[in-house]
Amino acid sequence: MKSLDPRVNRLPKTDSANTAPKVPLDQFGTFEVFVQPKAGKPFQHEGIVHAPNLEMAYVLAKEAFTRRFTCVSIYVAETRNIHISALTDGDDDAYNHVSEVTPEGEKTSFEIFHLFKRGKQHQHVGAVVATNPNEALWIASQELRTDKQVFNIWTIRTSDIRFTNQDDMDLWLTLPEKKFRDAAAYKGGDKLKTFLEASKN
Amino acid sequence: MNQEAIKELLYKMADDQLILGHRNSEWTGFGPLLEEDIAFSSMAQDKVGHSLALYTILNDLGEQDPDTIAFTRNADQFHNTVLTELPNAEYDFSLIRHFLYDTAEALRFEMLSHSSFEPLALVATKVRGELRYHTMHANTWVKQLGAATEESIGRLQQSLELALPYALGIFEPSPYESDLIKEAIFEGEKALEEKWKKKIEEVIAQTQLHLPKWETIAPHYGGRTGKHTEYLQPLLDEMSEVFKIDPTAEW
Repeated sequence: MKSLDPRVNRLPKTDSANTAPKVPLDQFGTFEVFVQPKAGKPFQHEGIVHAPNLEMAYVLAKEAFTRRFTCVSIYVAETRNIHISALTDGDDDAYNHVSEVTPEGEKTSFEIFHLFKRGKQHQHVGAVVATNPNEALWIASQELRTDKQVFNIWTIRTSDIRFTNQDDMDLWLTLPEKKFRDAAAYKGGDKLKTFLEASKN
Repeated sequence: MNQEAIKELLYKMADDQLILGHRNSEWTGFGPLLEEDIAFSSMAQDKVGHSLALYTILNDLGEQDPDTIAFTRNADQFHNTVLTELPNAEYDFSLIRHFLYDTAEALRFEMLSHSSFEPLALVATKVRGELRYHTMHANTWVKQLGAATEESIGRLQQSLELALPYALGIFEPSPYESDLIKEAIFEGEKALEEKWKKKIEEVIAQTQLHLPKWETIAPHYGGRTGKHTEYLQPLLDEMSEVFKIDPTAEW
């Protein structure tokens, strides 16, 4: 059957008889995307993208997560490089389950993210220097823990993160003018109301 | 300032952006992966936005309003380069065209940000962040696929060879070249072409793709003077369908 969408009718014909089914799990890996909504505000986890590598993930994340709402910078890290603290229930603070770790090997920098509210995003709270993610958690419990309850903690080696270069800060220059990308800007309700009013008469 | 020269420059730039923006938007919903579908659609929307900004300057110079310019002309009144009107076919071609065209576009706007014609310099300065993303996106894909598998390299190579003569058509000499240079409006197509070739060489060198010698490629000219392929008119008919039913429609 021909489609009503001319673009569909123009698609190249695929030889479906000779197309082998995809192998299960044959897809790109996932990368976690962090967005800084305003200068001076902390980065927060925004979602994931699929990509073949870190650089492609950065490029795809930019449009997937920052084409509408205000943003001044993003960074991405591969999902497998995110170290997650023990899961907790109810009012149990994630730091209650962190204990001292003996340093082992070379020291490097780790970024620490706190989950302050269940169902919300992890927020960047600072960096610590440690030899491994568990030690980073221990040091974070000494240096970054406050009175605020923390439900979960993420730890990412700073060198595993693809940051936004200083030169690329102008990527979001025209974003404030792209309100037309918000569904609300279309004013669907108003248009429907006008239409209904007009059809009454 | 030479108004005819400025208008010729604005028309060809704006028409390029409108036609390629529309062409690229045909991928919306059909992209090779969700994230890429979003990114490519979003950049297509940016391009249509650039054409609006340029048509608005033309309107201020006494031409008709942007919608009329965009939706009521026939193919032979368009000044876009033929590269932008060619059908999408498969994604590798669209990607190569995006790489070749956007590299030129980003360089052109960069040059124009110093233009003595202030309205154009302002637009050029304003959109630099968008163009930085467009070229970053194109370069990253070309580097990725141009060094990945035998199939991806083969496909990009084939599309590159197909697109290059048309890409050189971007720089079709303008009858106003010397006026534009003299009045410091634009450094000219020749200067742009040289910068573009360097940039293309630089990216291709980081892949396993092979760039033919420039002197062996015959540029496909004609688009700038309204000589188009059979692919442009159907695109225009489709793009202006709603406008022709109801010119006051908002959607």
